[in-house]
Amino acid sequence: MEYFLELLLGGLTRGSIYALIALGYTMVYGIIGLINFAHGEIYMIGAFTALIIASVLTILGFNHLSILVLASLVAVIYSAAYGFTVEKVAYKPLRSAPRLSPLISAIGMSIFLQNYVLLAQTSDFMPFPNLIPDFDFMEPYAHVIGSSELVILLTTAAVMMLLTVLIKFTKIGKAMRATAQDKSMAMLVGVNIDRVISVTFIIGSSLAAIGGILVASHIGQINFYIGFLAGIKAFTAAVLGGIGSIPGAVLGGIVLGCTESFATGYVSSDYEDVFAFTLLVLILIFRPAGILGRSTTEKV
Amino acid sequence: MLELKNIETFYGNIQALRDISIHIEKREIISLIGANGAGKTTTLMSICGLVPARFGKITFMGEPINGLSPDKIVSFGISQVPEGRRIFPQLTVLENLDMGAYLRNDKSQINEDLEYVYELFPILAERRHQQGGTLSGGEQQMLAISRAIMARPRLLLLDEPSLGLAPLVVKQIFGIIKKINSEQKTTIFLVEQNAYQALKVSNRGYVMENGCITMTDTGANLLKNPDVKQAYLGI
Repeated sequence: MEYFLELLLGGLTRGSIYALIALGYTMVYGIIGLINFAHGEIYMIGAFTALIIASVLTILGFNHLSILVLASLVAVIYSAAYGFTVEKVAYKPLRSAPRLSPLISAIGMSIFLQNYVLLAQTSDFMPFPNLIPDFDFMEPYAHVIGSSELVILLTTAAVMMLLTVLIKFTKIGKAMRATAQDKSMAMLVGVNIDRVISVTFIIGSSLAAIGGILVASHIGQINFYIGFLAGIKAFTAAVLGGIGSIPGAVLGGIVLGCTESFATGYVSSDYEDVFAFTLLVLILIFRPAGILGRSTTEKV
Repeated sequence: MLELKNIETFYGNIQALRDISIHIEKREIISLIGANGAGKTTTLMSICGLVPARFGKITFMGEPINGLSPDKIVSFGISQVPEGRRIFPQLTVLENLDMGAYLRNDKSQINEDLEYVYELFPILAERRHQQGGTLSGGEQQMLAISRAIMARPRLLLLDEPSLGLAPLVVKQIFGIIKKINSEQKTTIFLVEQNAYQALKVSNRGYVMENGCITMTDTGANLLKNPDVKQAYLGI
């Protein structure tokens, strides 16, 4: 039972990170119908930025908490700026082009950013400081869940709640949903589409950066390639849950994370990807639109 | 108020509008009638900026608006009830109405207008928390008109508001159009295939054929015109 609980919590932790990144994929897809393959790289850039800021602040002698807060803040802002710029440079000029063109542009952007970090930093794994402190009160539970896992779970839950409130109740949230449902009609009620798209990229990139920092701090090392792997997994989660659906991305992430965790725990870690992608194939066979992605009936 | 001068609009290489000139004065109801594919919807698209005119000049309240982005044009006070209603299907009725007031910040005024449209269409008040996509065709048309009213437009563009609706609902919709014109002092530009109903409520009308304006006169005169009678009224 304890072993099961440990696997479940591990799965939830992993899944909530997938969900955090998957939200970026699904929101962008919902609004402009593009799979933003450079999204994983934003996650990686978030982690690298946090590493650089944390290193500098450590040298300057800042204390633990201020390092965590400042490094995260700068990393989030920096990644958001990256997401914003990528859209302006690589996708906006292709908005009226055939769907394949921005897709290729996205893949190109992904390769470019990976190699840029490879050249600017290094190809080796870099140690990442443990930004999340070990809490004493977690000591008795250490065999089931670690401090950093708890922080990951709580942070992602809080971030997702904020996002839900933003999308459901704010003016920009409503504009985002309206734009996703009917772009030209949204323009006809006065929505500035460019702004909505930019905001979507900024939010998605911020979430990815938060995910990048949490994972890097949990695992303890990063390199230029982490974004690719995390990106593919999160993309899988988004498709699993139903791409374009926000609750779908969260659910898809959790389901994928738990599947991997249980496969690792009960079978072998060699098979975690096999189980994850078998699950994806099965769901796509029986529910092609994903778990929550259903095409709602519309009267005309 | 609105003036189109020698407008020519293209879809790629295909010319849809040829030398269109239309003028609309304050508080008028103007209708544009014509057969399928004559270019009526394209005319509206050119006004609202979704398919900008390639040549010619469009001015609204004396300011040139062609070439501006659609959301900018909306901010001048031009709202549209597009063909096919185009309700946001997964937003509730209330959220759809909120979207209509997207560019406004006067909260108390918005609430007043909300009461006004609920009065015009009590069914919308009843269904305010229902998703737009679940409404019937007639209800969706009412919602589309209400959403446009929520912007408090100076000029309201309506594209085929009677299309696919039961005769009783059509009558109701045209009644509301007249009411908005007199009560809210909104100028109305109506594009219709239902020529009889449209011309009946209009001060003036334009007849469109193959991308050209072929006739223009008062609504009453057009209703009596033998060519119009034969081509569009079926009598």
